[in-house]
Amino acid sequence: MQPLQPRPHIEVDGLELSYGNVPAVRGVSFNVLPGEQLTLLGPSGCGKTTTLRAVAGLEKPTAGEIRIDGVPVYSSARKINVPAEKRGLSMVFQSYAIWPHMSVFNNVAYGLRVRRLGATQIAEKVGHALDLVQMRDFSGRRASQLSGGQQQRVALARAFVFQPSVLLFDEPLSNLDAKLRADMRIELRDLQHRLGITSLYVTHDLEEALAMSDRIVVMRDGLVEQTGTPDEIYSLPRSAFVADFIGAANLIRGRHRPDLAVDDLVAIETTDVQIIYGMAYGRTVGPEPVVSVRTVHLKISLQPPAETRNVWPVRVEKTVFQGDFSQLHIAWGTQRLIARCAAMEPIAPGREVYMVIEPRRVVLLGAE
Amino acid sequence: MERHARPVTAATVPAGSPFAVQKFAGYGVAAVAAVLVLYPAFFLLQAALDVGDPQTRPPTAYGLDNFSGLFQFPQILLNTLTVSLAATVMALVFGFVMAWILARTNVPGRRTFEQLMAVPYYLTPLLGALAWSLLGSPESGFINQVWRELGGQSYLININTPYGIAWVMALFEGSVAFVMIAAVMKSMDPSLEEASQIMGASRVRTMLRITLPLVVPGVLGAAIFVFAEMLGSFAVALVLGLPNRYYVVTTAIYQLVQQYPPKIQVAAAMGVSLFAVMFVMLFLYRRVVMGGSYVTITGKAFRPRVADVGPLRYILLGVCVLYLFAAVVMPLATLLYASVQKIAVAFPAAENLTLDNFRTAMSMNAVRSALGNSLLLGFCTATIGVVLMGLLAWLIYRSRLPGSGLIEYIVMFPQAVPRLVFAFGMMWAWVVFPIPVYGTLWLLLIAYLTVFLPLGVRTIAGVMLQIDKSLDECAQMCGAAWAFRMRTVTVPLLMPGLIAAWLLLFIASIRELGASILLMGPHSKVITPSIVESWFGTSSELTATLALIQTLVVAIAMVVLVALTRRVAAQPVD
Repeated sequence: MQPLQPRPHIEVDGLELSYGNVPAVRGVSFNVLPGEQLTLLGPSGCGKTTTLRAVAGLEKPTAGEIRIDGVPVYSSARKINVPAEKRGLSMVFQSYAIWPHMSVFNNVAYGLRVRRLGATQIAEKVGHALDLVQMRDFSGRRASQLSGGQQQRVALARAFVFQPSVLLFDEPLSNLDAKLRADMRIELRDLQHRLGITSLYVTHDLEEALAMSDRIVVMRDGLVEQTGTPDEIYSLPRSAFVADFIGAANLIRGRHRPDLAVDDLVAIETTDVQIIYGMAYGRTVGPEPVVSVRTVHLKISLQPPAETRNVWPVRVEKTVFQGDFSQLHIAWGTQRLIARCAAMEPIAPGREVYMVIEPRRVVLLGAE
Repeated sequence: MERHARPVTAATVPAGSPFAVQKFAGYGVAAVAAVLVLYPAFFLLQAALDVGDPQTRPPTAYGLDNFSGLFQFPQILLNTLTVSLAATVMALVFGFVMAWILARTNVPGRRTFEQLMAVPYYLTPLLGALAWSLLGSPESGFINQVWRELGGQSYLININTPYGIAWVMALFEGSVAFVMIAAVMKSMDPSLEEASQIMGASRVRTMLRITLPLVVPGVLGAAIFVFAEMLGSFAVALVLGLPNRYYVVTTAIYQLVQQYPPKIQVAAAMGVSLFAVMFVMLFLYRRVVMGGSYVTITGKAFRPRVADVGPLRYILLGVCVLYLFAAVVMPLATLLYASVQKIAVAFPAAENLTLDNFRTAMSMNAVRSALGNSLLLGFCTATIGVVLMGLLAWLIYRSRLPGSGLIEYIVMFPQAVPRLVFAFGMMWAWVVFPIPVYGTLWLLLIAYLTVFLPLGVRTIAGVMLQIDKSLDECAQMCGAAWAFRMRTVTVPLLMPGLIAAWLLLFIASIRELGASILLMGPHSKVITPSIVESWFGTSSELTATLALIQTLVVAIAMVVLVALTRRVAAQPVD
């Protein structure tokens, strides 16, 4: 039983969009709740940006329906297509789109001028918005005099200053360097909470999505692969694609052995005739199941461990030192697995060690 | 909902209606452009297929006889091919050598020379032809006078020959070859050559195996483009060919229309055939440029590798100086020298010097009114043109209105037709037009707006395509409607492009010859055809004076405008 949910702020239903004969979005549905930040995540070319732009009104879909506050802004069946400027949304662009011929103040004031606010009101609101992004001192500057991070802040202030009902983000952090990106991620999340504004966010960056979202929609080839909270997506990937895209994972294939099942666990026999226990998490077990184990969940120890299930002696083939952790390449029968261990004393290649995997970390994937 | 400044009110927004302004503006300008281009084109085609009585319109019979009749003029075809091919080869050689020197070697003063390369184009082929006629005509040419004085026999050079005509065409109309080849050389990734050297190839081997093959498609594209341009060239062949009755296809068309009785139908057929050939050329050009070229042009800005050529660079400097001497310094000096003489001769004599030519030129009403008309037309063409062509550029490259591809074809159509030929169609089209524009300046305005459509749209589109689309989309997301966005974002960002287009249209209008010479009436004279009339009707000294005055007026207008726009640009837009 799900708790009673409020009416979704944005509803996307069976959205399809083709460029000529090339389908970019092939039937995507999701809802965004009021005040929620939903992220569309996926590799480039998966249709996430196209979906966002269709919600914005910058692309015309070929089929489906988009509703905002329950009111259709696009509907192929009812032949409705409200132009972008009438949808009451706002957007932060990947390129920032700061108008080079205007000062920072005028950039931010634009949306207020469109709405014909008075000069004093504009000055007050722009000042407040620039305060929130810590850019008040720059209000007289021109775009050409700003760094990338500053442009980003101006773009953000400009997007929320007129209190739009929804903020759309098109990979807003992808043009920043790594350090600044990490800072802006937190800042953006704070701001979104403070404004309580409904956000639809597009990114291909996994960490960004996990850190910033209330819920994530993973997309692939114009379709939704999985929808869920960051934790669900990370811990319980539904497909090999999600498991692999969301952080590194080992995929293990095998044969279902219901006869060996114990304690609600699923027993799977690998091609090397190893028995590995995992959990189904309510998913049905097919005849040839695939399980996913995150690289961080392979525990390596030099001494025989206390556990009895999912313990194997294995051989380390290669160790790659990567700073905060080491990546171990492990030979497990004929399979090669990858384990990430917190930095420890180096293990020489060829050394025999023990590998333990908690059965709850062995996640059964849904049938493809 | 209270916290939203503008809630979505889809109920009050019927689908489609917000696009009304946009659609109206879009299809409005598209319709204007279509009428401007297609209406005269129809009349040109009609005249070419008219095999009935030449005196009656509309035609009484249609057929292809006019086209088969073209083979009565094999000499003209041969002349056209000779001149165009020779001019293309010369222009390519000049263009390639200059592009290589200025883009790839460390010759002193490269930047300055590169900018000076545009000057011959601004001087116009007509001015070049007049100057070189004064310099190189077999009897009275200055060079030949000096030659005889030095003990030479008859003449050293004869500019009134096919190769003389080609020489002047290459100098004054071939600079596009330099621009195109230099662009290819500059856009070449230097690491491609460096890779070859790292692999152990010598400099010569790198040049032969890497550099040249990479440049070939660009040069081939330039060759086709220049050849098409030379086929439609008119002014040089008119000034240098007419005295010897040496006709190319454009001057032949002009002659057929001007003679009595005029052979309109044959001229039209000739024009349509010329158009067909040029169209094929431009089609080939597009194929070469789009399909054949290697991907050396990426979005990255490369700094082309500059070769240190050692002491050779002073020889190359000499080549540059020589080129600009032949294409700029000598022609201008010649005209100036001729304009202050009673009778233009090579050797100065005190009693021969005079300022009468300038006095005469400025006191002639015909000249004053022609110059005034040209300036007025230039101003109107540029101002109306910028609005019309700006909207067209937006319509073609930025709006998503259906049919924009077709509009692009229509707008670019005049590019493939020599202006003289197009004017020929316009002559007929606007004679029968219910509003009497024929013989007035209005006709010339319409003509200029038509033939300069590709120029204006290209110039503005070049700037428009550089402006990131998201700048407009962002304004849209801020809630701004189309007209508001145009005013606050699109037009201000386009301003440099619009100003450049205005200047180009203004200059192009004042120097226009091919269309004006057929369309101007006795009471609507403009300056460039008047200069040609003066050349064939009055003295060469007076003509030189007129050409100088025209050049000076254009130069002054440019300086003033550039100064004005600098001031505008310096002020904050907000």
